[in-house]
Amino acid sequence: MIRALLRSIFLWAIAAFLLIPFAIVAGVSLNPARQIAFPPKSVSGAWFVEMVTDRGWQVAIWNSFSIAFIAAMLATSVALLAAYALWRRDTWLSRSVFALGLAPYMVPPIILALGASVFWAEVGLYGSRWATTISHGVLFVTLPLVIISRGFSVLNREIVDASNISGASPTQTFTRVILPIIAPYVVTSFAIVAIISVNEYLISSFISGFTVETLPIKIFNNVRYGYTPVLAAAAIGFAAVTVGVLVLVSFFTDLVELFGGSAPEDLR
Amino acid sequence: MSAVTATKDRGWIIALIPLGTLVLFFVAPMAYMAAVSVFKNDPAAFFKPAFVLDNYAKFFAPFYYSISLRSFVQAGLGAGIVTLLGFFTVLFVSDQSRWLQRFWVILLLSLLCLSEVVIAFALLILFSQSSGIPKLLAWLTLWDNPRSLYPSFGAMMAGYVMLGFSIATLMLFPQVSRRDRAIEEAAQGLGTAPALLFLRVTLPMFRTALLAAFITLFVYFLGVFVMPTMLGGPQNWNMTVIIQDRAVERFNMPLGAALAMIMLALTAVLAALLLWLNRQQRAEDA
Repeated sequence: MIRALLRSIFLWAIAAFLLIPFAIVAGVSLNPARQIAFPPKSVSGAWFVEMVTDRGWQVAIWNSFSIAFIAAMLATSVALLAAYALWRRDTWLSRSVFALGLAPYMVPPIILALGASVFWAEVGLYGSRWATTISHGVLFVTLPLVIISRGFSVLNREIVDASNISGASPTQTFTRVILPIIAPYVVTSFAIVAIISVNEYLISSFISGFTVETLPIKIFNNVRYGYTPVLAAAAIGFAAVTVGVLVLVSFFTDLVELFGGSAPEDLR
Repeated sequence: MSAVTATKDRGWIIALIPLGTLVLFFVAPMAYMAAVSVFKNDPAAFFKPAFVLDNYAKFFAPFYYSISLRSFVQAGLGAGIVTLLGFFTVLFVSDQSRWLQRFWVILLLSLLCLSEVVIAFALLILFSQSSGIPKLLAWLTLWDNPRSLYPSFGAMMAGYVMLGFSIATLMLFPQVSRRDRAIEEAAQGLGTAPALLFLRVTLPMFRTALLAAFITLFVYFLGVFVMPTMLGGPQNWNMTVIIQDRAVERFNMPLGAALAMIMLALTAVLAALLLWLNRQQRAEDA
């Protein structure tokens, strides 16, 4: 009994460590005073209003979300094709594509960022939002690849065979049979890449940090050169969107299962 | 069957699209960076094609040695703390109800996705004199003249822990939650003391998984940029910050690239170790 209590205390302490900083930022963002202060003396949404009406923040929000949307489409498409190829036939080619897709995750971001920036400088797209978008889309392919492969692993081959025998073309089988089954995994992948891209700092800063200001870049620059509570509003808005999307995803994908937790019946 | 044979020969074309994309936008930039690392620095342009090893030679100086050592110590310490805390968290969470498990998975996933910048900013506020812990301690009359607790090594380490925690836990979660609880119950039934049960039964089951988590975090922390710059002082800056400084602030791309190549080589060694561990794990599981 005491051990169970100690375990709970430990878990709550960890949760508190992870959550309290954000609670304070939320408090700061609601304080109407010009200076950063906690606890707030009164509550006001003025800083949130300033964030969404200020031109600079609007541009940063637009940059971040437009880059994230296209990067997520790209990463998910590449991952879908790679996972499909491996599921269809386990050849050295499909296996090496899969392994290559896992590699960016293992390389420290500073190295990816530096590589991307010299590459885009040579291509002539250094400083362009397209360069950042493509790099995000390709370098964040790992998680979608892992998630969509998990989708394929639950796909029953007999259903696909049945579709083929019934005379469906490979394209029809893919769009009518396979895609609907793995759709939840594809949507989850899209959401996760979009979130990662919106939050990423180092790669976007190396490729187009001077010309395309994204939300993390704007926050980072503002912290360096003195900050106002708008920053707290931006940070908390950011965290809220991230958590919101994940909660939404959790309604149509079993996240506990997806991240390898035990199925309900396994639990005592 | 005929349908399967008919589609067989076209299957590899599907793999070519992701292959081409990855080669063009991941492998080619890495290869080009390797080339730039032997180029000459040219303040007018970015660099001038050449074949010089000066950039690598610069690494062998006391300054870079001490930066490397510092990076290793910080990454090792961070990875150790996070692996330990994360392991206990996962161990306890995996015995909680489904509902609580979902809460933790969403909390950890949110942290995993949340920007380094936002996490660092939240901690900055937590350690600030105006709104965080110093103010609380002053209010409790525990601290007479409070001042901000950053930049400092401790603040930066708190950043490392918060940043790596989600990675460690989400890596360990599958194995820990699917562990064979019968073994622990059997040992418990035989009257093994809880501490002994943990050390002799539970811990050895996850030796390989823990080592894998440690190495992953180690590599991840070697590449951390925002935490040292926002929460640490110049005396805490690691190799990543120095690479950024040389390449971007001082416009010396070739030197930055050479330092990055050295870091990449080291990462490759650690990644190979990780793959080997994975294979060990699979052999153990089988």
